[in-house]
Amino acid sequence: MINRILRFGLIFILLFLLQVLLFNNIKFSGYVNPFVYIMFILLLPVEMPSWLLLILSFFTGLTMDFFSGTPGMHTSATVLAGFMRPYVLRFTSPRDGYEPGSDPSMLAYSFRWFLIYASIIVVIHHLALFYLEVFRFTDFFKTLLRIILSSLFSISFIILLEYIRKGK
Amino acid sequence: MRNLLNFLAKYNHLIIFLVLEGIALYLLSTGNNYHNSRVVKGFRGLAAGIEKRVSNATSYFHLREISQAQARENVSLRTTIERLSGKENQLFFSVTDTIRHQQYTYSSAGVVNNTVNRQKNFFTINKGKLQGISVDMAVASGDCVAGVIVGSSNNFSIAMSLLNLDFRLSVRLKSNGYFGSLSWDGSDPRHAILSEIPQHVTFGIGDTIETTGFSAVFPEGLVIGTVSDFEKSGGDFYRITVALGTDFKRLRFVNVIGNLRKEEQLELEKQFQ
Repeated sequence: MINRILRFGLIFILLFLLQVLLFNNIKFSGYVNPFVYIMFILLLPVEMPSWLLLILSFFTGLTMDFFSGTPGMHTSATVLAGFMRPYVLRFTSPRDGYEPGSDPSMLAYSFRWFLIYASIIVVIHHLALFYLEVFRFTDFFKTLLRIILSSLFSISFIILLEYIRKGK
Repeated sequence: MRNLLNFLAKYNHLIIFLVLEGIALYLLSTGNNYHNSRVVKGFRGLAAGIEKRVSNATSYFHLREISQAQARENVSLRTTIERLSGKENQLFFSVTDTIRHQQYTYSSAGVVNNTVNRQKNFFTINKGKLQGISVDMAVASGDCVAGVIVGSSNNFSIAMSLLNLDFRLSVRLKSNGYFGSLSWDGSDPRHAILSEIPQHVTFGIGDTIETTGFSAVFPEGLVIGTVSDFEKSGGDFYRITVALGTDFKRLRFVNVIGNLRKEEQLELEKQFQ
């Protein structure tokens, strides 16, 4: 149990180091801002109680807001993502259900399953985040394009990180 | 109480989500200047929109009062119209300038009788001696010559129309100043004849004919009409057909022009004749 907490703490710190030091500096013409820190919420254990999941999502977002100086913006998006996660897990559940005590990762399940699961959560998170950022519906489609491009990059980097974790 | 706890337990996922999302959105709207101003603006716009709808709706309830007020206003406007139209004749008053030493007096009058189809046409106006009209005053319709007063009673005057075989007037071509004599040939109420313009004078169709002011009756520069046709007629003169500026068939209001210095001019001229 302690071991697990330490492992997630390490994942949390590593993800934020990557996000703040690397991905926050990726800016292709303002359209691509990948946010891979959301991977932390993806990887939390399947049977984690929903209140803890929501609170962890809240603090994940709060940490990100702390680094990007945008109070509430990432928090809103991550809380929404955390709220949706149990429904997405139920929606994408494998034929024989989740193994007890497993993490929802590519290590434990298939690449295809992880791709669908991660894509849905990432798109939900990015939709909320980017529309909260512009906070208006003019330029609706421009924002949508940003969301699609950024989601593609986020999902790619998350898959890449999963492969690195798997290879380790 | 137990029900409440059950409810909270059942929906704890949703409730915690709503609480945390509420905190996050509160942070978003208070912590960021841009989002804060957008939220404030949005609420203001919403309030303004609701207010507009409410006032739109309530204005219907005031329609009765509004229509009553308009009916009252209509009544008062109609009364004003009646009063003003009843005073129509009093609107035409003579203008007397007491500051400048003026030469001509103008007073408006309405035409009450008029003919155009005789050889010697006269028209009657609704002002007479009591309104300062006297014989030999000029009558103009707008800026165009209409006739000359030949007789007046207390409240009416008779004017010899330009359409009268006895009417003679000294006029000139505005473009070059050559003057001649205007008369009517008794045929067409829309045209008169200008004679005594020498044949070496050049002018064209459409040239303006105006009064000279030699007669001491008409002021200088009143319009007669325009040249509509001309032909050489025996001797050295043109016979010019003038399209009259005044439409005598619908003469309605005229200005009566009096020359205040006529007596002086005539008296002086008499001494040297």
